[in-house]
Amino acid sequence: MKRLVLLSAATVVTLAMMSSPGLAQRKVTLNVISAGDQNMVDYVRDYLGPQFEKSHPDVAVKAVGTGPGDAGSQKIYEKLMAEKSSASWDIDVAVIHQKAAGDMIREKLLASYTKDVPTSKYVTSASATNALGTDATGYVIPMFNSQTAIAYNSDMVKNPPASYDELVKWVDANPNKFGYNGIKGGMSGVSFVVGWVYANAPDAEKLMKGPYDPATKASWDPAFAKLKEFNKKVVLTPGNAGTLDMLGRGEIEMGPVWVDMFYTWQADGKLPPSVKLKLIGPGMPGQPMYYVIPAKAANTKLAEEFIALATSPKVQADGIVKRFNWYPGIDATAVKSQLDDATWNKLFVDVTPQDLASKGKTFPITPYFNDILEGYEKKVQ
Amino acid sequence: MREARLFMLLLVLPALSVVLALFVYPLGLSLASAFTAKDGTATLENFAKTYQLYGDDILFTFLIVAVSTVVIGALAAAIGGYLILGENPRAVAFLKWLYRWPLFIPFIVAAQCMRTFLAKNGLMNNTFDSLGLINLQSAVGLLDWRGIIVTFVWKQTPFVALLVAGAMASLDRSTMEAARNLGAGRVRILVEIVLPQVAQVMVVGLILSFVTMLSVLSVPIMVSGGSPAMLTVDMAFRINSYGDYGTANALGFISYAMTGIAAWVYLRRGVSGGGRP
Repeated sequence: MKRLVLLSAATVVTLAMMSSPGLAQRKVTLNVISAGDQNMVDYVRDYLGPQFEKSHPDVAVKAVGTGPGDAGSQKIYEKLMAEKSSASWDIDVAVIHQKAAGDMIREKLLASYTKDVPTSKYVTSASATNALGTDATGYVIPMFNSQTAIAYNSDMVKNPPASYDELVKWVDANPNKFGYNGIKGGMSGVSFVVGWVYANAPDAEKLMKGPYDPATKASWDPAFAKLKEFNKKVVLTPGNAGTLDMLGRGEIEMGPVWVDMFYTWQADGKLPPSVKLKLIGPGMPGQPMYYVIPAKAANTKLAEEFIALATSPKVQADGIVKRFNWYPGIDATAVKSQLDDATWNKLFVDVTPQDLASKGKTFPITPYFNDILEGYEKKVQ
Repeated sequence: MREARLFMLLLVLPALSVVLALFVYPLGLSLASAFTAKDGTATLENFAKTYQLYGDDILFTFLIVAVSTVVIGALAAAIGGYLILGENPRAVAFLKWLYRWPLFIPFIVAAQCMRTFLAKNGLMNNTFDSLGLINLQSAVGLLDWRGIIVTFVWKQTPFVALLVAGAMASLDRSTMEAARNLGAGRVRILVEIVLPQVAQVMVVGLILSFVTMLSVLSVPIMVSGGSPAMLTVDMAFRINSYGDYGTANALGFISYAMTGIAAWVYLRRGVSGGGRP
């Protein structure tokens, strides 16, 4: 009996060995590694990958996720640092956040590739040349842009505040009805805090554009003192999803959220239709995610072709806008012609393109960003 | 003789190398990093920063885990006690079947369930509301430090109860029966006769729980949004937001110190128990 089991096991192994090398020899594997939630991996595996494999029959696209938030990008950064001295790296295309992009450009881990990709002519956003203070020209093409805004329940809140100052007054009148997730539970809270500093600091423009001056952070003390006071009258939620959960259950009436998450949750029926968005002044930050190619990628040519597909107006329209409710990474006018009006309008109904242009900010340059987070840890918590 | 010794060394080698490579080496690296500045020089700056920013969190973490441990101990004693002293065989059988379930549920799943269960308008308060026990308008959510304790206790009690109940079951029943004959109540038998005899096992179970809870990231990050935060959350934040391994490792060092004390108690127990940990 035992012998029979062994024999059959051996047969299976042999068969597997005989069949797989044939496959492996024919196919080139394009490794796409992505920070962000599982939906980013699914997007490459179920949507982009099959399209690319169709036009490149000899290529197999392999999608790997490294986890949400800056932590996911940090892992990609650390992996490339570890591989730095080897001749060829096993990542062909990476999708990363702004903060890591700056670090990776400075460490010379990325290839300057956009000149070889035809769709780079559609790239117009400022974030394509500036990754939180690092010159990113040539190294990145935005996959999408995402924005934070304040979600509010229009059944309870008839006149939503239009600015941070009005929000403070609203919270004074309605204690424990506003919720956000601090700075340790996800980026929507971080974004709210950064917007708060922009609204209350004397020199918001300098925080976004530089140059860095370590003395600047002292000027935020009144802003943080005010935020500490504000925090006593709000609910601290567990995470980005925690804020949306509480809005959905009616425990809070207002809170900062990512626009794409908001629309996805609403489409899934997890948020009532009465919850709406408002981008409050002077502005709240948003961020893109970038397509990048590591400097020593094994399949640079294929990687460029993959990114060209991913940033084509058609894919940006169907994949980025329609499927995920993200704002397109390339110029919106190039994408608009590919979409029906209903889809287009849905994305811009609460937050208008004018709002986005005037109140959609970037995150501060990295050293200021770190100062803001640490200032919050020191003076607000 | 020498050959035998060499052979023995060979036998131990695989296990030893795994321990060295996957535990001792990373531990050393992490300790070294806690005392190293970004430019590579030796420093205590990471600890200064830890104290300045996370002093409250260290205390908070210790209190959360300590309170959880105490509650777990009390509940485990109660469960184990009922299993041997309970008089309704059906209730005993039911409890025996029921109490182990959380053991098979990962922390992250438990945390996810608690998020919807303990929220202000969550399952628990809604149930109480429909039973007329509370008014939902004035209800409070438990998604803060209380939520962390509830989740920890819910998840770890079965583990300690399992150990303790096993030890209780193997006790000589004659002492309990003698006490009962003399008129002692069940609580008194549990506290004065049963628990002293299983104290060794109880302490070991609680120490293992203490160390486990200290290392959990998912529960505090998912259940509680507010501050103070637990050390694991701070460590993750330090790395993910600043790429600052120095301070994260300094926080880790404080975590080791807490578990180290627990481990010391554990080992001392082992030695006094005749080398049986």
